[in-house]
Amino acid sequence: MANNAYIEIKDIQKFYPHKDGKLFHKAGERKYVKAVDGVSLSMQRGEILGVIGESGCGKSTLGRILVRLEDPTSGDVFIDGVSTKEILQKDTKTFRRQVQIIFQNPFDTFTPRDTIQKILLRPLKHHNIGKDTVERLKICKEALEAGGLRPAEDILSRYPHELSGGQLQRISIIRSMFLNPGFIIADEPVSMLDVSVRAEIINMLIDLARNKNAAVVFISHDIALTRYISDNIAVMYLGRIVEYGSADEVIKNPQHPYTRALISNCASVDPFEEHEEISIEGEPPTPINPGPGCYFAPRCYMATEECFKCYPNRVSCGGSHYAVCDKIKVNGAENS
Amino acid sequence: MEHLLTVKDLNVTYVNKNRRVMAVRNVNMAVDKGDSLGIVGESGSGKSTLAMALLRLHPKGTEITGQALFEGKDLLAITKEEMNELRWVKIAVVFQKAMNALSPVHRISEQIEDIYRVHCPKASAEEIKTRTLELLKLVNLPERVYNLYPHEMSGGMLQRVAIAISLLHHPQLLIFDEATTALDVVTQGQILKEILEMEKTLATTRIMITHDMSVVATTCNKVAVMYAGELMEFGMVKDVLTHPHHPYTQGLQGSFPSLKGDNKKLVSIPGFLPDLSKECKGCVFAPRCSHATERCHKEKPPMVKTGEAGGAACWLCIGGEENGK
Repeated sequence: MANNAYIEIKDIQKFYPHKDGKLFHKAGERKYVKAVDGVSLSMQRGEILGVIGESGCGKSTLGRILVRLEDPTSGDVFIDGVSTKEILQKDTKTFRRQVQIIFQNPFDTFTPRDTIQKILLRPLKHHNIGKDTVERLKICKEALEAGGLRPAEDILSRYPHELSGGQLQRISIIRSMFLNPGFIIADEPVSMLDVSVRAEIINMLIDLARNKNAAVVFISHDIALTRYISDNIAVMYLGRIVEYGSADEVIKNPQHPYTRALISNCASVDPFEEHEEISIEGEPPTPINPGPGCYFAPRCYMATEECFKCYPNRVSCGGSHYAVCDKIKVNGAENS
Repeated sequence: MEHLLTVKDLNVTYVNKNRRVMAVRNVNMAVDKGDSLGIVGESGSGKSTLAMALLRLHPKGTEITGQALFEGKDLLAITKEEMNELRWVKIAVVFQKAMNALSPVHRISEQIEDIYRVHCPKASAEEIKTRTLELLKLVNLPERVYNLYPHEMSGGMLQRVAIAISLLHHPQLLIFDEATTALDVVTQGQILKEILEMEKTLATTRIMITHDMSVVATTCNKVAVMYAGELMEFGMVKDVLTHPHHPYTQGLQGSFPSLKGDNKKLVSIPGFLPDLSKECKGCVFAPRCSHATERCHKEKPPMVKTGEAGGAACWLCIGGEENGK
């Protein structure tokens, strides 16, 4: 990993106390749900990182920690070498300028009682962008038109319920871009949208990362889509990253048994596409004190006794591609 | 050959105080025994309305015209009692949200027994239990599910219970209304595989309603594409998905990224769904179509035969212009 990474996520952990009905606990008896359990990643400027996994694997919690809607139990995020903890202590405004989030449901993102104009002017005013309302309105109009929302005047005078999901999601992206953030988290931004409008939102996000040189974390459970948009992909399972690498490498040459199972279960649009037949049983358990061994071992088709004893090491599979599994033979000797 | 289900000129109109929304317009389709038909379309394309009309589960005051012949009987004309006899026994449905389809205050065993007794009032408790356990095994659920309440199970398990219930009386036609949409990728994959596995042993006909082309690609042999309440294209899955004739199908396909294939740029279809309460003269898709000509805006295109068993409603497909793009 390069030292000059723009975003450096270092060993983020988030534990929620498990509610077992007891008010008091003896020392060491309290259980925790380990939603995110030691995630480290680094990103360059202009890079799009896809995070995939089943629901409950902690990908959304990770996203919320990155924008500090939740505070991590331990660990820190560094933007351009500066700790976000320090930035937040000094000034929340500066932090919000740098980090923005795009939510899943565009219908819940906006105040239903305000017009789009009021909604868009608010962050500009708060962060003192533009001299007066006239200038701010000009910025809004330009941004809307650049985002393909024409006529801008008409859109500005409308209320959120008068617009479609695709339009609202575009406004949501435009709003998050006003402050020129260097780091954007997109938490399932298209899963609520119809397929025919999905593509334009995705293309808008890609343009944004490339033109404005922002680092984007794209959280999704749609594997084909994540592969399309991302430069790198991280696969999460029970709060830990099990595989990381460039998008094509991870999808075409998956190493970790979990990634393989995930991809083999993913339906493809092409009726003739071949895929491995791997099935895993059951659903991910709640990560309450997961065992000393590999978290995936109970569901893994390759698991042996050793897998239950200690957590596997990170195995490099060429370049930046790595998987956390002891059963992998390097250089793809075991590929089928 | 006799079709299992024939839909003729089906029109469904939702009527409320000041508007008439024509949700399904002039739909014709036929389903043969043993088929698995996928109906795809965006939200608002009328695919669910179509299914609800077939099951007579539409809200009060909905106007329906046309015919839906199922084994010679018109589903839309028979009495309520006759329809009730058909439900579960001949036609069964699995809804999108199994958590809402099951009663939260009754055990799974009680709910299944209820449905069983509606059609076999004299069945013994023993008989019902054997059948239930047999079905739970079929959908890969452990026996303990029998005594559980819905809140004790995960979404995937509930969906499996819903599928098991639908199979209770060996129905001939199964309708899955977005049955796997709310599930996780892995769970969805598992359930789709189980459905395919089940069909090897049970001779059922299936209609899959979904917005996900990839689900259709993996589990169906025929596909019907709907847009704004009208049927745009139908045919065999392998024909339609590899060589779509209708511009809408092409557009829909262009907005799905391939999993392992080349990373071609995703293209979206510009514009929005038309207002369904207004009469539309020409092709419904014309305002969003990049190949639209003047004729498309004025005249409604007829369904033309494409390939062996397919059809597309588009002027471009007439007169050999289909290879234009």
